[in-house]
Amino acid sequence: MNSVGRILKEQSSNFHLILRLSLYDAKSKYQMHYLGAVWQFLGPAIQILLYWLVFGLGIRGGAPVHGIPFFVWLIAGLIPWFFISPSITQGSNSVYARVSLVSKMKFPVSVLPTVTIVSNSFQFIIMMLVMGVIFVIYGINPGWYLLQLPYYLVALFVFLFALTLLTSTISTLIRDFQQILQSLMRMVLYLLPILWDTSKLSHVYETILKLNPLFYIVQGFRYSLLGYGWFYEDWIYTLYFWVITLLILTVGSILHLKFRNKFIDYL
Amino acid sequence: MALKVQFENVSKKYVLYKKRSDKLLEIFFPKKKNESFYALRNISFSVNEGETIGVVGINGSGKSTLSNLLSQVVPQTSGDIKINGETSLIAISVGLNNNLNGLENIELKCLMHGLTKEEIKKITPDIIEFADIGKFITQPVKNYSSGMKSRLGFAISVHTNPDILVVDEALSVGDQTFYDKCLKKINEFKEQGKTIFFISHSLTQIRSVCNKVMWIHFGELKQFGGTRVVLEKYKEFVKWFNGLTDEEKKQYKLDMLANQAKDEYALMNEKSEYNQPLYSLEQRTKRRERKKERRKTFKLYFQVGILSMLSLFLAILMFYT
Repeated sequence: MNSVGRILKEQSSNFHLILRLSLYDAKSKYQMHYLGAVWQFLGPAIQILLYWLVFGLGIRGGAPVHGIPFFVWLIAGLIPWFFISPSITQGSNSVYARVSLVSKMKFPVSVLPTVTIVSNSFQFIIMMLVMGVIFVIYGINPGWYLLQLPYYLVALFVFLFALTLLTSTISTLIRDFQQILQSLMRMVLYLLPILWDTSKLSHVYETILKLNPLFYIVQGFRYSLLGYGWFYEDWIYTLYFWVITLLILTVGSILHLKFRNKFIDYL
Repeated sequence: MALKVQFENVSKKYVLYKKRSDKLLEIFFPKKKNESFYALRNISFSVNEGETIGVVGINGSGKSTLSNLLSQVVPQTSGDIKINGETSLIAISVGLNNNLNGLENIELKCLMHGLTKEEIKKITPDIIEFADIGKFITQPVKNYSSGMKSRLGFAISVHTNPDILVVDEALSVGDQTFYDKCLKKINEFKEQGKTIFFISHSLTQIRSVCNKVMWIHFGELKQFGGTRVVLEKYKEFVKWFNGLTDEEKKQYKLDMLANQAKDEYALMNEKSEYNQPLYSLEQRTKRRERKKERRKTFKLYFQVGILSMLSLFLAILMFYT
């Protein structure tokens, strides 16, 4: 736990640095485009419409999922995904992309993935608010279940931090890994209950899909936004998720501390 | 006089890989022998507050490696480095983001140095004033000339208020007016009691700025002392070297490089005529440290092992509920 503690301490002691850098990052991201910040919503909106058309109207024929309109069901899973997917791919690349800039100065490299996650989360917060408006329009009220949303948000951030810490280290050492990760992320979208309902699968197949910790998070967003259930009902799955996250965090911290001095040699 | 920088038997070894895959293999099999090269070997010196140190040496002698070690950009392979205070490295086009414009680079660099928004706002006009690159400040850095890049880099680094400044040939691309400006700034720093390392090939520049000079020769510290004495010796060497025939020059360089490629153990065996049968104190502490290290690695493996077993167990449990 020693290395995990060290990494976490670096995050907390550089909290202001992370916040400032990620704000700067978010601001400068769309500066080169003429439409600027509009792209932050235009891109996802086009994708949502497309998935709605293909999976909702096309494949499902407009049928609701467990009594909830498909469109609402879709965005409850897809909007977290719009945050998860770029955070993982960009976060993994963050150390490699910045190390030449950072290497000429003393800088805690372990905050780079965090900066990416935080800078992406500004867009995520706004999209969550937009989603809230859509929910009100559709008249969906999850009731008390909404209270577990903060829990799942924490789970999401902790998991993303652990994963990007590990993947950013690996993809700096081995460049091929970034390529693998990108294709993997494209695939994972279809292995999560985002675009289609996995509850029709047999128990064994669904459990195989459930081994992916992201499944837990996406399912959790549905639980809290659509009122499907409580996180402690399936306590084995909850425990599994946290153990896996801790495992990734431990391995990530150990590898990061071991290799961060050598990052510059591996460029 | 407070001690600012202290090097004790510092070495920096680079491993020369034949293929890219060798690099990867080394991660998993650290004992595998690759060809190595000592960019610096057994460097020891100490520098006090308010001193300006010039660093001279011919190409490939390890000056830039020294500047990287000083600014803690690269870690040393062995030895101890003690540095009191923040270092700032200025080399040609250091860490400027080519896609951003000058102003954005100022902001980003300052942010990374840990300055707050207000502080940045306060020093930005000073930086622009000092860099003096006119309208180009709003242009992307990729369109800059090398002089402009070094001006901007120098201006930013100087204004982030470092305790120790390492100038790595950054001034060689600037013109005389900029050089005078930098000289003024360096003298200002000197009065404030800051330590400056000045790496340059221009002996006149070094003579005008530095009070001590370090001569690095193929990875070894040849001489460290007063400016006059060392520069005299260095000049003598350059004169002697230039007097050699081309064939002799080549041979001399080859000999020196072969020496740098030699491993620590080979060198030690050469020096000591007979191997001592008893372990020296140094070796014993080394052994103890290695043992400690091994225990630590074992602990880490243990943690990872427990966690993976637990997650495996829970995964299996999930299938049976």
